[in-house]
Amino acid sequence: MKAKFKMLLAAVATTAVISTAPARAEFKLENPPKIAMILLAQKNDGGWSQALDEARQKLEKDMGITIPVIENVPENATAIRPAVELLIQRGTNVIIGSAFGYSDTFKELAEKYPKVAFLNPAGTTNGANLESFYGRTYESQYLCGMAAAGASKTGKLGFVAANPFGLVNWTVNAYAMGARQVNPNATVTVVYTGAWNDPVKERAAAQALIEQGIDVVGQHVDTAAVQIVAQEKGVYGTGHHRDLSEFAPKATQCSSVWVWDRFLGPEIKKLSTGWTPSEYGAFIAMKDGGTDIKCCGDAVPKEVADKITAARQEIIDGKRQVYAGPLKDREGKERVAAGQVLSDGDLWKMDWFVDGVISQK
Amino acid sequence: MTDFFINWVANIPGFAAPFALAALGLIVSEKSGVLTLGAEGYMLVGALSGVGAILLLGGYPMAALLIAAAVTSLFSLIFAVMTVTLRVNQVIASLAIIFLGQGLTSLIATRAGWLNVPIAGLGKLNVPGLSDLPVVGPILFQQDLVCYLLVPIFVGVVYVLNRTVIGLKLRAVGDGPDAADAAGVSVNLFRYGAVMAGAALVGLAGAYLSIGIAKLWVDGMSGGRGLIAIALVIFARWHPWRALAGAVLFGGIEALIPRVAAIGLQVPQYFVMMTPYLATLAVMVWASTRGRERAAFAMPQALGQPHTREERH
Repeated sequence: MKAKFKMLLAAVATTAVISTAPARAEFKLENPPKIAMILLAQKNDGGWSQALDEARQKLEKDMGITIPVIENVPENATAIRPAVELLIQRGTNVIIGSAFGYSDTFKELAEKYPKVAFLNPAGTTNGANLESFYGRTYESQYLCGMAAAGASKTGKLGFVAANPFGLVNWTVNAYAMGARQVNPNATVTVVYTGAWNDPVKERAAAQALIEQGIDVVGQHVDTAAVQIVAQEKGVYGTGHHRDLSEFAPKATQCSSVWVWDRFLGPEIKKLSTGWTPSEYGAFIAMKDGGTDIKCCGDAVPKEVADKITAARQEIIDGKRQVYAGPLKDREGKERVAAGQVLSDGDLWKMDWFVDGVISQK
Repeated sequence: MTDFFINWVANIPGFAAPFALAALGLIVSEKSGVLTLGAEGYMLVGALSGVGAILLLGGYPMAALLIAAAVTSLFSLIFAVMTVTLRVNQVIASLAIIFLGQGLTSLIATRAGWLNVPIAGLGKLNVPGLSDLPVVGPILFQQDLVCYLLVPIFVGVVYVLNRTVIGLKLRAVGDGPDAADAAGVSVNLFRYGAVMAGAALVGLAGAYLSIGIAKLWVDGMSGGRGLIAIALVIFARWHPWRALAGAVLFGGIEALIPRVAAIGLQVPQYFVMMTPYLATLAVMVWASTRGRERAAFAMPQALGQPHTREERH
């Protein structure tokens, strides 16, 4: 998912462009939807791809149809194109992707096959029949930060993150802000591994954090190594992508999970009645699906769990914004003015940290 | 600060072991004149077969390490057939091994259901009495079996390479295959043997990554460590002890990076992530100023050259 990095760049770039695009035409499927999914990795990769596959299974059940899936399609056109064209020849008219690296090929294919709808999570390209989408993971990680502070005895939390750019940094900051809702003195020490999917580095990072007396470790990396280390060392953790308590039932107290079916279900219904893809892609809030939490483990006290439930409801109702002003970074510079909410463009290029986050420069 | 130091040093052997074993394996293979760049593929095969063996046997990490070494050795037969018998370009064959290793392990892991399954793995082996000593205890006597065996393995391999007839013939095959052939040494036999023995060591390194450190399998989990091992071999000029020193240096830095971040030390993180490579560069500059190499440890003279009997030059 180095993929997502470039999505950030593209998102920043698109927000900078002043749009003069004409009103968008509505797209409508000619036949009943026949859906297929192509996945970057295996459908049981334990993370990103598996979350999409779980959504696929839920959609199959809800809609009473079969949704075929092609696994292990790497991010290059020579692999994507034949897979998609084969599906289209067989009558598929809705293609769901799974990667940033599909963006350009999907754009090309969407233009070549205007009667087919294309949906691509973590993508960057959009068009009359193509929509990219991603979730506002800071909402769910904020709630997991609350759970982490509730489970922590020391107030010293850790976080293992992949690479220091916007969509990772916003989860780190949200985690710290959530934690401080429960314990105003909580700190979050973050270690970046520089890789999305390296269990050796993730384990090293988690061990180093726990050696420093940290007793709850959050994560925004792809494997469950962090949760497994937490369980081995008798401390707690919070997961990402999916409910990671299956790997560490004693340790994992909360997980930020993808719930793509809640977004894709209604979106696919619209395809038959009239659909206008978002011009800059769908950036999905918790109320529209995308992300949610699986909470809470035994170590989270009842009153904190209740607080999390209430906060979740407020986020869904739009009464609570994670990045609402006034908000200063840890250097004291104002990042969001009172009464404002951080813009999507500023989210994607976030390179600052709030009070309570301990990190390298 | 003392705790920080002890934690750091105590973690170095675990980080150094995969680099050291992989580099040693490559040295054995390359001493016979076969340019072996497919360590990444070998490590993946070793890592997956280790996890697979544990899941099938229901435990027994030591047996799993041996099985992984044996499976990788068999896997390297493909490379040996390509390079020694068929005399395919060794760089191309190495790349094929990397991609084959990636694809094959991914396929097998999915089909067998070994992906993302946590295993108990290799535990720490405490030495009664010694492990509880302050400072020295955690650093030297709270390691796992592979770390304890690291130096003995090196001693054994160096002894065989330098002090036995087998080692002499192997080096002769790597330095002057025509002369060795004329002297009655079977070039192909020794190259097959060296490739397979080397692959066993690299496979052990891979299995240590999955069984000893990560304690689960995910696709592509070697994460470029096989490539670092190749760099270590070149940097050590095919000298096993220098490769071990290089591995300890890399391991030390890899163990240090997350710890520096975890104590919140305010240094730019990109600088910290750069340090392994900076260190390599510094040591190479230092090494290049140190006079000529002993002939026995320089690059094998026939490295990368397929041997054809009675070929006219």
